[in-house]
Amino acid sequence: MVKSTFKNSIDGLSDLFKDETDIPGGSVILVTGVEGGLKSGLVFNIISNYLASNDKYALYATLEETEESHSRNMKSLGIKKHDRLHIFDYMDVRHEWKNEEPDFLKVTEEMINFYREKYADFSIFAFDSLNALYSLSSNLNIRKQMYHFFTMLRTRKLTSFLIMETHSPDRHLLIGTGGYMERPEFFLADGIIELGIVEDKESVKRYIQIRKMRGVNHNMEKHQILVGKNGLMVVGSIY
Amino acid sequence: MGQILNDLRLIPKFANNPGLKSDIPVEDIVKNHLEIIILSLLLEKPRCGYDLIKEIIARYNVMISQGTVYPLLYSLKREGIIHMESMKGDMKIKNYSITGDFRYTVEKKIDGFIKTEEYILNSIRNGEIYV
Repeated sequence: MVKSTFKNSIDGLSDLFKDETDIPGGSVILVTGVEGGLKSGLVFNIISNYLASNDKYALYATLEETEESHSRNMKSLGIKKHDRLHIFDYMDVRHEWKNEEPDFLKVTEEMINFYREKYADFSIFAFDSLNALYSLSSNLNIRKQMYHFFTMLRTRKLTSFLIMETHSPDRHLLIGTGGYMERPEFFLADGIIELGIVEDKESVKRYIQIRKMRGVNHNMEKHQILVGKNGLMVVGSIY
Repeated sequence: MGQILNDLRLIPKFANNPGLKSDIPVEDIVKNHLEIIILSLLLEKPRCGYDLIKEIIARYNVMISQGTVYPLLYSLKREGIIHMESMKGDMKIKNYSITGDFRYTVEKKIDGFIKTEEYILNSIRNGEIYV
């Protein structure tokens, strides 16, 4: 069996890493960017292809869409879901408990505990998205509870991808909370992968950039990201 | 099977007794045997996740998180042991019931669980093993 690496899960992604580095196992990675930037697709594609070369299990938890809708969208991007990649969509919880406002962070933690007990090789977690979580949680102390959430993920040694939609990458702003403020997620994350769109007179391009990856020698340049027949691919530097 | 379910219903007598509650780890017992309990509840009648959690509170005075019950339901569904049907009038509410082919297997599993528990309990109670 070939050694599993995240950077080789998508064509061209390894160009963003220098030497033999990769996304460190057990780290918490924030995947940020504007709408339509392929955040969900990137995370789903990385995990699904990564699982093909090992025996691990992964969980993709989505507050944004139903499992059916998410699967349909991923298929339209040419991404094949691996059998050991499970999707949990919260829709039943949201609907059946709509009058009691569940604590979605606690639900997520309990769900992670369930998967750890059920699958010894459960080691990858994705959450889509923090914006949806904040919108559904009226009494959330973001700074305190995010610290607990990130710590919980690290303690369980899960390589985690947390998706968060942002307006402006330079100011680290967040959509969905009704205000502009510095976000604790950016300080807490071990890594930040940003997806965005650049326009000039002649073209519009999607890009991917590693803004931060603790302990990893990585490229800082923005690379173009494209949708191919078999999922996403990273091509050369955008400039 | 009726007797089995009646036996399971004896637990809240302990759970609701203030004198015994602190000594008997009802919550641990329920959480450790959640799959068996949920399967036994679904043998009685189809239920959704909400109904299952409320029924467990009513019977055992234990709150099980949605983050445990729903993934368990989806896992049982993936294995084909239970199946889902939407409720009349509200298509978003999903009721689960035991799949016909698995009904006998589930009954045997619960029966086996109770016999094993009784065997262990008798050995603790009497200091020796009764068969």
